[in-house]
Amino acid sequence: MDNSTPLTEALFYILLAVRTPNHGYGIIQDISEMTDGRVVLGPGTLYGAINSMLTKGWICLYSEDKESRKKKEYLVTSIGREIFKNEVKRLNELVKNAKKMDEG
Amino acid sequence: MLKFKLYYDKDAEEIWLREMSLKGWALKKFFLGFYTFEPCEPGEYNYQIDLLDNWNGNKSDYASFMEDLGVEVVDQWWRWVYLRKKAADGPFEMYTDVESKIDLYRKIMNFFKIALVIEVICFFIELTATIRTGSLMFGALTVLIGAISLALLKVVWKCKWKIEQLQNEESQQR
Repeated sequence: MDNSTPLTEALFYILLAVRTPNHGYGIIQDISEMTDGRVVLGPGTLYGAINSMLTKGWICLYSEDKESRKKKEYLVTSIGREIFKNEVKRLNELVKNAKKMDEG
Repeated sequence: MLKFKLYYDKDAEEIWLREMSLKGWALKKFFLGFYTFEPCEPGEYNYQIDLLDNWNGNKSDYASFMEDLGVEVVDQWWRWVYLRKKAADGPFEMYTDVESKIDLYRKIMNFFKIALVIEVICFFIELTATIRTGSLMFGALTVLIGAISLALLKVVWKCKWKIEQLQNEESQQR
């Protein structure tokens, strides 16, 4: 999967947070909860990451609330899922190999 | 209240805006070094300054995205935007990971690089005019543009230094 892995922590968690439709504020909240407040994305970091992933086709716009014209929701695409799966594969390999440290 | 200041370093500018907020003055408008302030509760806001990718693009998209996150676009001057968030709503840092910080400083560096090239071209035009005409006015302009060029060079150099610092930080994490 070309040079898309390793994913940065921000991209990894954003992909995870949009496995179901989610909006900006929800993404930040979900990631913060998942990591017990360790990863709290700044607005600029999130905006840049979302736009770059929209361009690359990893996520797409799910809905645009027509009444309030705010609260855009994003959803992971099949490409995004593939990227995520590859990253998990890489991470599993890391963890598997890491166990060798205890085995001596 | 109106203040005139020239900042070449957005980090220092952010700190100054925070200090003004602590004194009870909230930034309302910015234009060419002129800052307009209005009274606020002391310490009511934290400020951040961002550089947009382009200056005509999806401005409203950016503004409504930020608004959803409790961040208000105070003013925009060309590609630069002034943002604020209520201090009561928690800490305010636009860029939180090394990768996006490097992206930002690279963007700022490229912005000032273009400005530097333009100034240097102007410098040589003025210099030629000074030599040809021997006019004092052209001479003064040459010195002024030369000084601006040096200031811009310093900004580019500082951005480069910040990017290197961040890259070191990144490689230490890995």
